Amino acid sequence: MTQEAAPKLPILQLVGVRKTFNDFVAVEKIDLDVIEGEFLTIVGPSGSGKTTLLRMLAGMDQPSEGNITLHGERINEVPPNKRPTCLVFQSLALFPHKSVGDNIEFPLKVRGVDAKTRKARALELMRVVRLPESYHSKNVMKCSGGERQRVALARALAYDPEVLFFDEPLSAIDYKLKKVLEKELKDLHKETGKTFIYITHSLEEAMVMSDRIGVMRAGRLVQVGTPEQIYNHPVDRFVSEFVGEVNVIEVKKGEEGAPWRGIDVPGAFHVRPPEEDAEADHAFVVIRPEYLRFLGAGDTAQNSLKGMVYNEYSLGSRIQYQVRVGEKVMLVELSRSKALPIAADRSVTVGWDAADAITVRA
Amino acid sequence: MEQEKARTRLFIWLWTAFVVVLLYLPIACGALASLSKGRYFAFPIRAFTSEWWEKTLDSIEIGMIVQTSLLVAALVTVISVVVAFFGALAFARYDWKGRRLFQKIVILPIFFPQPVLGLALLLWFSAVGIQTSWLTAVFAHLVWIVPVVTLVIAIQVYSFDPSLEEAAFDLGATRWQVMREVTLPILWPGIWSGALFAFLLSWGNFPLSLYTAGADSTVPKWLYSKMVAGYTPMVPALGTMSTLGAASALLLGGLVLWLLRRRAAA
Repeated sequence: MTQEAAPKLPILQLVGVRKTFNDFVAVEKIDLDVIEGEFLTIVGPSGSGKTTLLRMLAGMDQPSEGNITLHGERINEVPPNKRPTCLVFQSLALFPHKSVGDNIEFPLKVRGVDAKTRKARALELMRVVRLPESYHSKNVMKCSGGERQRVALARALAYDPEVLFFDEPLSAIDYKLKKVLEKELKDLHKETGKTFIYITHSLEEAMVMSDRIGVMRAGRLVQVGTPEQIYNHPVDRFVSEFVGEVNVIEVKKGEEGAPWRGIDVPGAFHVRPPEEDAEADHAFVVIRPEYLRFLGAGDTAQNSLKGMVYNEYSLGSRIQYQVRVGEKVMLVELSRSKALPIAADRSVTVGWDAADAITVRA
Repeated sequence: MEQEKARTRLFIWLWTAFVVVLLYLPIACGALASLSKGRYFAFPIRAFTSEWWEKTLDSIEIGMIVQTSLLVAALVTVISVVVAFFGALAFARYDWKGRRLFQKIVILPIFFPQPVLGLALLLWFSAVGIQTSWLTAVFAHLVWIVPVVTLVIAIQVYSFDPSLEEAAFDLGATRWQVMREVTLPILWPGIWSGALFAFLLSWGNFPLSLYTAGADSTVPKWLYSKMVAGYTPMVPALGTMSTLGAASALLLGGLVLWLLRRRAAA
């Protein structure tokens, strides 16, 4: 696990946090420092333990082992209503019997703030999340999906938490609106300066918004780093594949000085040794589809493979080609303007340089 | 095609009318019988009078019986709603060992033949040495009515998203505030329906009261005993009043439910 040096003090610290349900280990020995004011996203496939981790941070579950500290104080058993943190649920959990205004004012009401102050604060927060003032008395169930997101955000902000948690709040939103809300959330993070911890299974979402990303797999935090680090320096095959569609070639080191040999694709390749372990003699070469190119007559690359194009998909501004190389399918993505002139027999040579590929240990 | 549709519609109407007549004619007959001038019930009714209604309303005995019935029904309503509310929360929301068994045990009394249940309770009361009265009748009603109310409230609890309570708790509310601000307001329609069921089922219950009310009488028990010996048109008069009372309770309850739903949708 790589961790960049923290320039600010950690607000939340996890040390050896573990959570088991009977025999099932949901979260395994997690160490993590959350820096004050950062936007941290935890990504992982469903069942990787990210929601359990978040529930422990919010106080809805207690760790079986390890410690969670907030400003250096242990908070393992502090209940959610006594923590300066607030969770935005996947379902949003808006109170269906309350108006937009009453939803937003809820945390103030239970704290005993008077009605006039509450309303003023609610209207202020509605401006922050871009809800029209007239919505104050609107039935929350009559709001659209995007409006409900904003109500949930405003309600969480009304609690004035130091740390805000998000449990995949955008998963049920259509693509276009999701893009808008992602941007708004990022703006909101900047405006409020609060610490945001966001959970999603979509790395795309994580890449857009986060200062740092943590990747979880089977209860473990596999890698924590900036989006750039995660994308360009994945620690293993799982992280590299999680980032998006990739071509993976399994390779073994040849004799002293000789190039690496492919295992699932025949051939010899120029390979940079894995960053994590320069001495490894067994590795995966990861090549992103956009780094693979077709070699025409006279084009050269350090590595090349012959294959047949058997399918192509339009990805909007790009085109993805599926190329069969022996038993393996390689993905090549080109921008539309550079689309491949299709030859009759569709046989092609794909190539890449060692510097365009990432090597991770096997 | 059009003709076929018209015929279908005609049959639907005829069938509906038949069912309505079948269901409500006996009640109408009872009402008519209570208005008959003659002491014995025979059709056709030759002369009408409101005498029996007046006598019924003036009777001190009937006043006391109605009071007992109301008291029993009110107590049963309050106790069964409280017990059923927490029971429904427990089995609809939490997953615990023995939950399914509990569910079955709780629901089972609904399917016991009521006279058998009444007899069993009577035997049990005498074995334990408890004098039967309207209080024991309350207990007997509860055995049968709590399961029904639990079912009614559980339906509402099943559609309740527990993350709402977690969210409220997370937003700083205490357990009590969560209950008052979130759980109860959302479950109100279910609780209210349950209360209505409890009241009406207790109000109209005969077999359990017959066995377990001892010397105290309830409206259905009185109707039966007068039917067996000492019939006067006061029997159908009280029966009709009891039905009308239940119907108005139902209407009133329905109105409140409608208002609750409308407020929720406002």
